[in-house]
Amino acid sequence: MIGFMSAMVEAWQELRINKVRILLALLGVALSVAALTSVVGVGNLAREGFKASSERTGGRSATLALGVNGPTQPDPARLDVAYQSIVDRYGIAFSSHEGHAEQPFQFPRGVQSVQLVVVDPGYGVIHRLELQQGSWFASDDEQRLAPAVVVSEAFYNAAGRPDLALQPGVKTAGEQESNTVIIGVVPNTWPDAPPTAYILSGAAKQMGVNQLGGQFSVWVQDGQAEMLSAAIQADLAQQFPEMNIMAQRMDFAAHGDPLAPVQLVVGGIAGLVLLLGAVGMLNISMVTVRYRVREIGIRRSFGATSGRIFLGVMMESVVATAVAGLAGVMVAVAVVKHPWIQSKVAPALSQYPPFPIEAAMLGFGAAVLVGALAGAIPALVAVRVKVIDAIRF
Amino acid sequence: MESLVSLRGVTRTVVLPDDQKLHILRGIDLEVSAGDHTAIIGRSGCGKSTLLNLLGLLDVPTDGEIQFLGTPVLQIGGNARARLRGSTVGFVFQQFNLLPGRSALDNVITPLLYARGRDFLRRRELAMDMLDRVGLAGRARTMPNMLSGGEQQRVAIARALVRRPRLILADEPTGALDVETGQSVMALLDQVATESAAALVTITHDSNVAALARSSFRLDSGVLHPLDGQGTPGVALSGPALSALVSSGPAPLGPPSSEVRR
Repeated sequence: MIGFMSAMVEAWQELRINKVRILLALLGVALSVAALTSVVGVGNLAREGFKASSERTGGRSATLALGVNGPTQPDPARLDVAYQSIVDRYGIAFSSHEGHAEQPFQFPRGVQSVQLVVVDPGYGVIHRLELQQGSWFASDDEQRLAPAVVVSEAFYNAAGRPDLALQPGVKTAGEQESNTVIIGVVPNTWPDAPPTAYILSGAAKQMGVNQLGGQFSVWVQDGQAEMLSAAIQADLAQQFPEMNIMAQRMDFAAHGDPLAPVQLVVGGIAGLVLLLGAVGMLNISMVTVRYRVREIGIRRSFGATSGRIFLGVMMESVVATAVAGLAGVMVAVAVVKHPWIQSKVAPALSQYPPFPIEAAMLGFGAAVLVGALAGAIPALVAVRVKVIDAIRF
Repeated sequence: MESLVSLRGVTRTVVLPDDQKLHILRGIDLEVSAGDHTAIIGRSGCGKSTLLNLLGLLDVPTDGEIQFLGTPVLQIGGNARARLRGSTVGFVFQQFNLLPGRSALDNVITPLLYARGRDFLRRRELAMDMLDRVGLAGRARTMPNMLSGGEQQRVAIARALVRRPRLILADEPTGALDVETGQSVMALLDQVATESAAALVTITHDSNVAALARSSFRLDSGVLHPLDGQGTPGVALSGPALSALVSSGPAPLGPPSSEVRR
C-alpha cells in the first residue's frame, strides 16, 4: 500500500515539475477524450430525442400495428370484435385504435381545419405522450356528453390558450356542430406543426367523424414481438380470409438501433484521434526517459527497485492521462449538457436525460488505458537503464 | 566492530567491443566496519568508481566474494539488493546529482519515497531535520540551480543521510568544489557520519581529503595498496609493522578496523 502511495507521490511530483511538457502532450489526449465522450453523450441525447419523436408516431418498442385491408373494407364492428379478442387472448395491457380525420373547428379567429387523431386511452402509453398541461384520457372520458379532446400546442394557441381548469370548450364546425372540451395539451411534434387534436374513438363515432383508414396498435414485450406478430397474423387471417393482414412492428427499434452506424463512425474517428494522442504521448515519454536516464540512475542508487522505476514512469503517464481524461470528460459534459446543443440535437424532448455515466466511464477508461500503453514502453526502457552508466559523470 | 562490507579477492572485468578483457579491479581485499572513515585515492580511470559501485551494491564482482552485512551479495536478488541499498547505503556524488526542478527539500525527500512505513509517512519532517543538520533549513524551498556548489553538496549530503544509512559512499565529494568549500564539506561529512556512527568511504584523487580519513588506500591499476597518513604507500596494517608505523608516523592511524589482506 505504502509502495503504491509512494509511487503515486513520485508520479505526481514528476508531473508537477514537467508541467508544460506534460500539458502539451496531454492536450491531444484531453481533446480526443472530450471528442469520444461527447460523441457518445450527444449520440445518447440524439437517440433519446429520436426515440421520443419516433415513439410519438410509431409507438414505443415493441408496438405491433394490426390492419386488415382488402378489395372491400371489412365490417368495422367485426374487426373491433376480432381486435378485442386478440387483446383478451394474449393479455395485452395497452392497445389503441388509430384513425385519422380532417375536422374543422371554430376558433376565435375563424374556422380552421384540424388533424383529428382518433385513439383509445392506451394510445397515450404506447406513444409515451408527455403533456404540457392537463391530463390524457381516462377510460370514462368516453361517457362525456361533450367529447374530451387532447390538443397540440398549435391547437391550444389557436383556441386562445384558455385555462384548462375551466373546462374550456371548442366547437366543431361543419355539418354537425358539437362542443368539445380541452382536457390536455401536448407539445407540437415539430415547430410550426398544424393544429392537431386527439379524440377517443367512441366520442368520434358519436360525433360522426369520417375516419380515413385506421389501424390497431398493441404494445407487447420486445422479445415476444416476433412470435406474437405471427400468431396474430394467423388469427386474423382465419377470421378474414382473402384479405391482406398486417401485424408488424412499427416502432423505431424494429430494425435495430437506427443511430448505431453514425455513432460507430464518429466514435471510430474519435478513437483514431485518441490513438494519435497516445502516439504523441508515447513519443514525448520516450524522449523524456532518455533525458532522464541520469535521474533514474540516481533513484536506483537510493534503493528504487526496477519494479518501482517501472511503476514510477508508467504511473506518471497514467496519472497524467487520467487528469487529461477527467478534463476531457468535463468538457464533454459541458458540451452535451449545453442548453443550445440539447435543443438542437433533441428538439423533440421536453426533459433531457442526465449525462450518460457509461460515456463518462468510457472516456475516462480510454484515457487511463492510453496512459498505461504509452507509459509501458518508456517504463521498460527506464528499467533497462544501467545504474552505473547513468550516474557516471 | 561489526563488519558492513567485506571484499575478498574481488575482481571486476569487462569485455570490450573487440572482445578483449579489461581488468578494472584485481584481487581486492577490503573490510569496512561500522564507524570506519576510509579514503581510497587514485588517478582517474584506476577503478575507484567501480570499487565504490561494488561497495554500494550497484554492481556485482566478476570473481571473488563480497559479503554485505555477512550475506554474500550474489545470493541477494536484484530487488532485495535495491532495498538493502536504499536502507543501508547513502551516496554522495562528485557532481552532486541533485534532481533538477525539485527544491532542496524535495531532493532530500526523494530517498524516503523508497522507504516503508513511518519513514515514508514522516518524510517531510525527516528531510527538514536533515537539512537543518547540514545548516540549510532556511533554503529548503530553493531550487538546486539557485544554490552554490558547496550548498548543493550539503543538500546532497543531507539526501544521502536522510535514511540514516550505515554506510556512506562519497565519490569525489569535493571534486567540483574549491579547496576551502571542499574542506568544509568534508568536515561536515565527517561530522555527520561520526554522529550517526556510519561508516564513511571516500573516493578521491585529493591527498588532502584522503588525509582526513582514519585509514586510506591507494588504488593503482586495479590493485589496492594501504597508505599511511602521508599519502605514501604503507604496509599491512597489522602486526609489528603497524606498531612501528603508529610509533613513527606523525598522523596516527585510526583503529585497524579497515585492513588489507594481500
